[in-house]
Amino acid sequence: MRTLLVWVAGCWTLAGLSPLALANGWNMPVGVTDLSREIYSLHMTIFWICVAIGVVVFGVMFYSLFRFRRSRGAKADNFHENTTVEVLWTAIPLLILVGMAVPATATLVKMYDASDAELDVMITGQQWRWRYEYLGEDVAFTSNMSTPRAQIRGEEARGEHYLLEVDEPLVLPTNRKVRFLMTADDVIHSWWVPDLAVKQDTIPGFINENWVNIDEPGIYRGQCAELCGMDHGFMPIVVHAMEGEEFDEWLAERKEAAAEEALGVDRDWELDELMERGEAVYGSICASCHQAEGQGAPPAFPSLAGNERLIEDVEWHVQTIVNGVSGTAMPAFRSTLNPVEIAAVATFTRNAWGNDTGDAVQPSEIAEQLAQ
Amino acid sequence: MWSVIKSVLAAFFGVQKERQRRADFETGRPVVFIAVGVVMTLVLIGLVALVATLAAR
Repeated sequence: MRTLLVWVAGCWTLAGLSPLALANGWNMPVGVTDLSREIYSLHMTIFWICVAIGVVVFGVMFYSLFRFRRSRGAKADNFHENTTVEVLWTAIPLLILVGMAVPATATLVKMYDASDAELDVMITGQQWRWRYEYLGEDVAFTSNMSTPRAQIRGEEARGEHYLLEVDEPLVLPTNRKVRFLMTADDVIHSWWVPDLAVKQDTIPGFINENWVNIDEPGIYRGQCAELCGMDHGFMPIVVHAMEGEEFDEWLAERKEAAAEEALGVDRDWELDELMERGEAVYGSICASCHQAEGQGAPPAFPSLAGNERLIEDVEWHVQTIVNGVSGTAMPAFRSTLNPVEIAAVATFTRNAWGNDTGDAVQPSEIAEQLAQ
Repeated sequence: MWSVIKSVLAAFFGVQKERQRRADFETGRPVVFIAVGVVMTLVLIGLVALVATLAAR
């Protein structure tokens, strides 16, 4: 009887722990989509089934150990088989598994149904950033971690969203079905945002599908969930969900800006303009390897400041940015950056930190090269 | 024949009576068990496919 009481008390303690677990982030979040809530309740159902099995199995075991101990004269019974018991302990788990498989399969079917989406977003994993493309809207950008390197090196106090903040979040509308088409440029990454219940591998050469229909505006954070190289921990995901109207305005603004940028390719840019733009691009894209002052981290990441080949050979310099260097960590930026950004960052690196070549690489030249 | 099918079904389930097992090993021919096993595997696959098709409708 006392054993039974202890078990009942234990179960109640466990049950009491579950809201505590949720509040402390020990449990998976309930999330902000219908599907995430469904996945959460499925997870809890299966968790409680496991708890019940654990209680029964260990209850019987400990009770038997205690009740039939040798000091009280219990004697072991020697028998080889008992077909009834064997059938029972095969059939019961079978029924439990089928019982769990039915709701789990129903949820899976829903997860795979990415049809009838109102918006398509292409998500591309790159070492080590995410690229978002609003298909059919001419809006695309890369999203880079914005946590300062000084915080990572421990020279500054860590901010509130340390390693979970980006320069440009993925903006999505609420109450609309959004389909994600997910792939990668280099190695396998995984796009994971717990509150959206999306964790999907992005694989070079494959396109995976997933979808969300967010019902609460807000900021949702996630990370790359597939070890993808040196800066795997430094490619966070931030989703900014806003009401439909607000989103439409945002998208229209971004479209206009993209159109303006496209016009910028044809005109001649001043050195100062290119430098200013280039510094921003360098900070978000290049500085993680080539370092803030262009000093690099040889031998993996060559120094750009005072790099003789870079200073002497503008063609090679631009080629390196556009096509990358195979066999090294230097990726091709032809699809990540637009002509204006490539020209700006080339100009910046040719003139910053005492490189002082005075060259202004024009976006039109880059556009020509990219078209070839 | 019926006893062979019963034995194969027991093997699918994973539980068999010791008495029946001995009988099978003493009187049965392996070829028969293998043939019935292959046929019933195909039947099982067909059944699973049927259930999956019905569920997906």
